[in-house]
Amino acid sequence: MVDMEQTAHGMMRRTFVFGTAGCLVLFGMGGLAYMGSTEVCRPPGGQDDDHFTSLCIHCEKCREICPNSAIGTAHIEDGLLNVRTPKMAYSYGWCDFCEEANAGVPLCESACPTTALLLPEDARPETVIIGKAVINRSWCLGWQLMGCRICVDACPYQAIELDGDKRPMVKEDLCNGCGACENVCVSMENGSVNGEESGRAIVVEPLESA
Amino acid sequence: MRRMKVRNLRALVATFVVLAVAIGYVTVTGLGNVCAAGVGLVSSICPVGALSALLASKTLIPRTLVALAVVAVLILIFGRAFCAWICPIPLVQRWLPDHRRRAQELEVETKSVIETVSRSTSEDTDADARTGGKRIEDEKGSCASCGEGTTCTAGAKMKLDSRHLILGGTLLSAAVFGFPVFCLVCPIGLTFATLLLVMRLFAFGETTWTLLVFPVILILELVVFRTWCRRICPLGALMSLIAGASKTFRPHIDDERCLVTSKGSLCRICAKACPEGIDVRHPDLSRHGVNECSKCLECVDACPVHAISLPPVPSRK
Repeated sequence: MVDMEQTAHGMMRRTFVFGTAGCLVLFGMGGLAYMGSTEVCRPPGGQDDDHFTSLCIHCEKCREICPNSAIGTAHIEDGLLNVRTPKMAYSYGWCDFCEEANAGVPLCESACPTTALLLPEDARPETVIIGKAVINRSWCLGWQLMGCRICVDACPYQAIELDGDKRPMVKEDLCNGCGACENVCVSMENGSVNGEESGRAIVVEPLESA
Repeated sequence: MRRMKVRNLRALVATFVVLAVAIGYVTVTGLGNVCAAGVGLVSSICPVGALSALLASKTLIPRTLVALAVVAVLILIFGRAFCAWICPIPLVQRWLPDHRRRAQELEVETKSVIETVSRSTSEDTDADARTGGKRIEDEKGSCASCGEGTTCTAGAKMKLDSRHLILGGTLLSAAVFGFPVFCLVCPIGLTFATLLLVMRLFAFGETTWTLLVFPVILILELVVFRTWCRRICPLGALMSLIAGASKTFRPHIDDERCLVTSKGSLCRICAKACPEGIDVRHPDLSRHGVNECSKCLECVDACPVHAISLPPVPSRK
């Protein structure tokens, strides 16, 4: 009997310690996450940041279902709050709004179990702005007057055009951040990119920082 | 031929789940992992993640509520079976020394009980009476309320512990900070995330610090805090709360076979075998009530006379 009482007592104290410590850690993490999270390009429907962050349960279903492998996951480098959330990965694929795979209804949005990805009723590829393409002029072969126009031809929205010297320019009002240009950019293969492996001379940047 | 131990069968099922998720990742089936599995209406969702998301966004989302309802029904039927059969965490834990030691202790205990019973039935005298007598002395405490050889009839009470506190903290933090905080550290999610990161490392050569950080968090959670399932996991806590209303697949003892009721033995093997701290014979006196049962079938496996079963519907008694 004495034995049992002691156990029961010990359990109570440990229960309290574990429970409180656990809760404190959770609250600490909740506070920490406000610092140091960066903007990333979200799949279609994830453009309202507050809406997205409050609902995403990091299940990665959108990433898995994307027929173009255009969705990757954000890493710790993108900030604590973004870890395991979807982030467009244009080096592997670009977003065609599932035109081919699902008649223009993005599969990621319909797969999201919590509607963290949510498109308005009248959403069209032209109105959902994932990000804006930005050209790194010192890496771009076209800007080194080498006549490269691969991104210009790849853009489904005619949002990139060549200037008088045949250098590509992004028309920001037409770009929706689909990533076709970043996907085809050959600057990496041609060795004009310095730094990270997935670097491209044209990259889609999230709206706020673009 | 020896029957496969249920412990190994469970490991096999859980491994199959991990493999299925990995195959799904490769083949782009969109079946997802355990955070949200299935397609369309035939889908489930992690109830802790779903509740956190609903609280964080302060909206009711039909899609999520339907998936939650599916999960609630599954838990009402199968209780915490997820914990024993699907969750990848026990796969890791079974290699930890604590778990191996417990298994060995149980083996010794089983041998001694069987010896005692067989000796007392063969009506040996003094020496056995003494060992038997000593055992009764030892065990009296735990049987005080209902007396030796009878079954506790009162239903098992639900008992709250630190996991339930953390469940509260999980939901509250989601509501306060406006995002599902627990998802960031959930070892189940991190296991599947690490699996994916390793796959992408080999498939695309994608490197990230996360590839180091996730395993480190996992190791911290599972090795340093060995008692994750027992003391911390809010998912287990939530399932145990829902399972309180469940009447199906509850462990049932056949009194005609049970050594305690048929032979007056003080066998407690099923109680010792239970990883959830349930004493099937005396649920009221045990650390946890039957609502915590994870249907792991350890008690069924351990019972020397095969007296325990988990009937789909409770037998009238």
